[in-house]
Amino acid sequence: MLTYLTRHLQVLFATLGDMRRTPMATINTLLIIAITLLLPCLLYIAVKSAQGLSQNWQGRPQISIFLQANVSDNTAQLIFEEIQLHPAIELAEFISPDQALEEFRILSGDEKNSLDQEIEFLGENPLPPSIVVMPVIESSASAKLQALKDELSSFDGIDTIRLDLDWTERFNAILQAFTRVALLLSALLGIGLILIVGNTIKLLIFNRRHEIEITKLVGGTDTFVRRPFLYYGTLFGILGSLITLGLLLLASELVAQPLQELASLYQTNALLHAVTGWELLTIVLCGGVIGWLAARWSVAQHLRKIQPR
Amino acid sequence: MIKLSHVTKRYPNGHEALKDISFDLDAGEMAFLSGHSGAGKSTLFKLITRIEKPTSGQIIVDNQNLGRLSRAKIPALRREIGVIFQDHKLLMDRSVFDNVALPLIVIGMPHDEIKKRVRAALGKVGLSGKEKQLPITLSGGEQQRVGIARAVINRPNILLADEPTGNLDEALSDEIIDIFADFNQVGVTVLIATHDLRQVERLSKRTIHLANGEIVEPAESIEDTEQVASDLELS
Repeated sequence: MLTYLTRHLQVLFATLGDMRRTPMATINTLLIIAITLLLPCLLYIAVKSAQGLSQNWQGRPQISIFLQANVSDNTAQLIFEEIQLHPAIELAEFISPDQALEEFRILSGDEKNSLDQEIEFLGENPLPPSIVVMPVIESSASAKLQALKDELSSFDGIDTIRLDLDWTERFNAILQAFTRVALLLSALLGIGLILIVGNTIKLLIFNRRHEIEITKLVGGTDTFVRRPFLYYGTLFGILGSLITLGLLLLASELVAQPLQELASLYQTNALLHAVTGWELLTIVLCGGVIGWLAARWSVAQHLRKIQPR
Repeated sequence: MIKLSHVTKRYPNGHEALKDISFDLDAGEMAFLSGHSGAGKSTLFKLITRIEKPTSGQIIVDNQNLGRLSRAKIPALRREIGVIFQDHKLLMDRSVFDNVALPLIVIGMPHDEIKKRVRAALGKVGLSGKEKQLPITLSGGEQQRVGIARAVINRPNILLADEPTGNLDEALSDEIIDIFADFNQVGVTVLIATHDLRQVERLSKRTIHLANGEIVEPAESIEDTEQVASDLELS
């Protein structure tokens, strides 16, 4: 076991030494790998961030309940109390016609005159009393919201109920399509990466053809001969993905400031998905596995053909 | 130790390098393989080390039938045989130490043990203190001796040497052949391919003569060699 480990360590350090002896070629390969890996990582972060946004909104869906315009204040109050006590509802706010008008005035930025004129023309405030409801988290899934809406519709004195769901659903559909495209793109880049690393390993194999022949002549097994190339592939993958992490850090530094401003405008925090340590580790592991796979593939194709002459 | 029965080797291009060769080399025996270039000496070595497969016939090396040897067992066979090549087959970008150590590295020997053995082997071939040099900085004779050190480092049972004195002067040739005789003294089976008849006569060991891929009687072969030599001079 110990000799096995020492043998692997020897190959590891020998391979690192070989890489250092050809710095330009190594750096080229590593940068190609790093940049190819960077794109799937960015796509992942984009999808994750968008999912985070969508969850934020879904956590606070709203139901607007418009009462019939002719209900008395008393009835409206009764309906409001009944809704407030409903177990699926966390918060409810009653908006009287006067409040609604005031809000409308503020939102439309109106300077009193034109709106007042119109109301004067109508003779009365046309806005109905309404109740804005926020369901408890457990009832926030869209199917449950729909059920809640149906239940509330049966109350007397309620005119219409509107779920603020349509646009989150639309957003989710877009997000899903985007996720699919991102996955497909990442898979393609992964295959591309295997081809790139595989080709680099192939060149290395042919550069060391003489050495491989002699090693086989003195009794080196196939396992022994291929080991350095597997290390090459795996190290390429791991080192390349470490550079990817560096680039990710750089990218997040660059977009942090503008995103912070955007977030503060919308009164949310952390628009960007914060990458966890596990995710960083996964990126490096993926890099290593891709490199190893590429080396395995390349070695299987080319090493057997090289025999002593 | 090495037994060939009715071995024929025909290359894909139709050239018949060996025709119905049979001979038997006992364990601990030392023999020369003589013959003009192209007589089939190198092909014979390639068959014994399983670099090539015979077209027909049977080869048994160290009680293993090479015709039935699986791919996976070839490395073990080659570890039993130390081979010295006419063109040395050294790694020119690796130090003398790394070159000689290679057969020990492939079997995963601990580094300390490798160091000891490499020093001993280099001492035996008279190259002490040249561990760190690159083979390219050595003379032809020194490179040949690096090859010998590599061939014997793993204490093989069989030593095969293909024209080990190729382009060397007489004194150096004697020295190198004497190294092989020393290994033979301690029980190693040695087969040396050479067209250097002086060595054949000097050591008076058994000699297998090859001409045009066939084993021939000594007289005929010498004539044959002389014929080739005179042909070369004429041309």
